[in-house]
Amino acid sequence: MKRMIGLFLVLAVLVIIPAIDLAFAAGDEPGEYLDRRVIIWNLFFRLMAVAFTVGAVVSGTLIWLVWRFRESNPKAKPTPYEGTDW
Amino acid sequence: MSGHSNMPEWIYIAVVVALMTWVGAEAWNAERLVEHVPEGAEVIKVTAQQWFWTFEHEDGTKEIGELHVEVGKAYKFEIESKDVIHSFNIHDYVVLMDAVPGRVNTVWFAPTEVGEHAIQCREYCGLLHYNMRGTLYVEEQSS
Repeated sequence: MKRMIGLFLVLAVLVIIPAIDLAFAAGDEPGEYLDRRVIIWNLFFRLMAVAFTVGAVVSGTLIWLVWRFRESNPKAKPTPYEGTDW
Repeated sequence: MSGHSNMPEWIYIAVVVALMTWVGAEAWNAERLVEHVPEGAEVIKVTAQQWFWTFEHEDGTKEIGELHVEVGKAYKFEIESKDVIHSFNIHDYVVLMDAVPGRVNTVWFAPTEVGEHAIQCREYCGLLHYNMRGTLYVEEQSS
């Protein structure tokens, strides 16, 4: 637990605090003439890419899990609580 | 449970927390950029009521159902409603902000090309909601 707290403290100092600092400092300057279409659609596509990647990894893991640990898999071994009567 | 390691669970939690943090940070940053009004943006007062839009420019010019702006300039909309909740939407420029009675909501944009675009109400506001439309005319700069 102590190690976790230490890790989070290090992360906070290295990443979180500078990021918050930078973000708030940027708010004081006048904004640029940015194209909100580009910002918003870029965000949308990036987040969709992340969502589909996570979806593929999670569903791929589940498919592998079900395929690998099915009873009929030649590599399947009975666990102690299933007994040895196969 | 001897020999059992929690490491995969911790890795899973760390990956999920990292992803959620990244998603939150990206969204927050995009919102910060988009909400940051440039200096010198012209203020246009947008009034919504059943079932049409009224626009008032800084020089006092009023328009109903249509809005004329110039390409390459920034405009800040101050949006309010006279009756029920509406939502001001210029779909082509991803401008979307609710018009709520009793408060002024703001959103800004800078048109990049000359052209005509649809303005519409995006919040069901009664019988003629479907026809609460307008046109945005983006024109060449006059000066």
